[in-house]
Amino acid sequence: MASIELRSVSKIYDSGAPAVRNINLDIADGEFMIFLGPSGCGKSTTLRMIAGLETISSGDLLIDGVRVNDVDPARRDIAIVFQNYALYPHMSVRQNMAFGLKLRALPAREIDRRIGEIAEMLDVAHLLDRRPSQLSGGQRQRVALGRALVREPRAFLLDEPLSNLDAKLRAVMRTELIKLHRRLRTTMIHVTHDQVEAMTMGQRICIMREGEIVQVGAPLDVYRDPADTFVASFLATPPMNLLTARLDATPDGLRLRAPGFEIAVPEPFGSAYASHAGRDVILGLRPEDLHEQAAAAGPLAQPISVAIETVEALGPETILTTKTSGGGDLSARVSERSEARIGQARTLYFDTRHLHLFDAQTTKLLPRIHIH
Amino acid sequence: MAARNAIQREDRRFGWMLMTPGLGLLAVVIGFPILWALYTSLFDYTLIMPGYENFVGAGNYVRAFGDGEFIHAAKVTLFFVLAVVLIEFAIGFLVALMLNDTERGKNIYYLILLCPLLMNPVVVGLIWRMFLHPTLGIVNYLLSLVHLGPVNWLGDAGIAFWTVVMVDIWHQVSFMIVLLLAGLSALPKEPYEAARVDGASALQSFWHITLPLMRPVIVVTLLIRVIFAIKTYDIIYIMTRGGPGIATDLVSYFIYRRAFVSLDLGEACAMAGILLIVVIAITAYLHRSMRAL
Repeated sequence: MASIELRSVSKIYDSGAPAVRNINLDIADGEFMIFLGPSGCGKSTTLRMIAGLETISSGDLLIDGVRVNDVDPARRDIAIVFQNYALYPHMSVRQNMAFGLKLRALPAREIDRRIGEIAEMLDVAHLLDRRPSQLSGGQRQRVALGRALVREPRAFLLDEPLSNLDAKLRAVMRTELIKLHRRLRTTMIHVTHDQVEAMTMGQRICIMREGEIVQVGAPLDVYRDPADTFVASFLATPPMNLLTARLDATPDGLRLRAPGFEIAVPEPFGSAYASHAGRDVILGLRPEDLHEQAAAAGPLAQPISVAIETVEALGPETILTTKTSGGGDLSARVSERSEARIGQARTLYFDTRHLHLFDAQTTKLLPRIHIH
Repeated sequence: MAARNAIQREDRRFGWMLMTPGLGLLAVVIGFPILWALYTSLFDYTLIMPGYENFVGAGNYVRAFGDGEFIHAAKVTLFFVLAVVLIEFAIGFLVALMLNDTERGKNIYYLILLCPLLMNPVVVGLIWRMFLHPTLGIVNYLLSLVHLGPVNWLGDAGIAFWTVVMVDIWHQVSFMIVLLLAGLSALPKEPYEAARVDGASALQSFWHITLPLMRPVIVVTLLIRVIFAIKTYDIIYIMTRGGPGIATDLVSYFIYRRAFVSLDLGEACAMAGILLIVVIAITAYLHRSMRAL
């Protein structure tokens, strides 16, 4: 069990390209932290710096309050599960799991006990004498996890361990990992570019872009209040609709003039947004906040006229992609009972309590209070 | 494997058609000489009285095994092969490991290392014979600068063997380096990272990961070198002619002398047959190892 602190950590490669810039992050003892971001955002590099597989160009890495920048990975007592599993191909499953323990000169009896226990837990006990090449992807993944678990390390680092699995197995392993964390209460850092994993697995998400942290927070907080348009468009599918709109002050309060429709800003938001009156802003509408019936939307529902462009019936829900008369693209996540057809003109309803506004220049969220 | 349908039969016929010219050429230039040599080995055939009148059956083979000089040549060859291959492997693996971790100037090192391999063995022999000349050679001159020598590199029966071994290593070690380096650079990187996090030192990683993963490459490299070393001929012919005395009398050079100096072609063919069996046995093993790669 360990807390991990990153203080102004940067990584600059020999070629001069900065991979990670000025990362500040505290990961509490026993926390399940997710690093989320598109490929090349520096999340894996950050993880590898914590493991000790990459040197830290500047800044400090502290594990349990002790600076470990120059500590060999072998002595950090951290286990890592790699994306491609990195099993030792010439060793059996048992030898793979025992390797780290033998290097630590644990007694044979203890090694056997731990392997037996973990193999049972991960359901690989019947595979102990097989080579990695004789295992399926899911089995290899569990062995890689087992090899990390038997070490009983202070923290687990998971580098996209689920990305090579098929969708069904990924869902199963996702649940397994959540249960595992609940059971072990060991610090875990999970790197992923899959926002479903990010939303469901971690206690907190750290969203990265181009080597920098954009936002850190609990999954639902990040979903409700994305720090900027990048986070807003990255989380959830389909992502938040973003439209350039003009915020105008009228005698009846603030109004948003978006391409093809206009909506009134609710009274309680007025004070927060007033300073932006007369300027362009980016309006964010979550697809799940767009409804086909005004009643379903909520008390502050406002109509938006759209033309239906595509209808994707997914089974439990239907995704509509639409265009407003002003040319704005809006996707909506509606009930599977929707009767929308391609080419139809329809009205969608949006409850303005769920409004997000972003600064047109900085793309940052304009802060406001929540109305329930 | 029986052809199961018309398409497969057609494919097989086409395959044979493509192979026929190559197979024919091999049969003429390799198969035929080998068979004729084996046939000759069954007769008392000399270049003084060439002819297939005196059939001796296995007589030439029996005489070969009873021939002290042949046995000596076989022993010298065995020693030579062991010395050359083991030392080349040790140096080759070390250099390959170092080059594998080198990032800057790798291609330049590579080029320098490949130079000896690109040279004709006769040229190598001539160059080194001049370098090692007891009075005119640069090696003894350099030794004299530090008050050592002179050493009679090729004239001293006790030293000549190791001189030839050294020259062969100089010539062939790059072969080992190139093959082992190719093997090393094809190894997956991930297990090493896993081992580092698992707590392995560099030496432990080498012992528990590099060596086992490299095993097939090592076996194949060693076997290829063994086969090539057994038939070493050019360097001996140029540098020592088997001498001084018979100190460097490798078996292929010995067979050459038996055939074209002693003119006893029948016996030379028998000895070549024995050598062929040894090389074929090693090759068969090599073939199996390569299939396991």
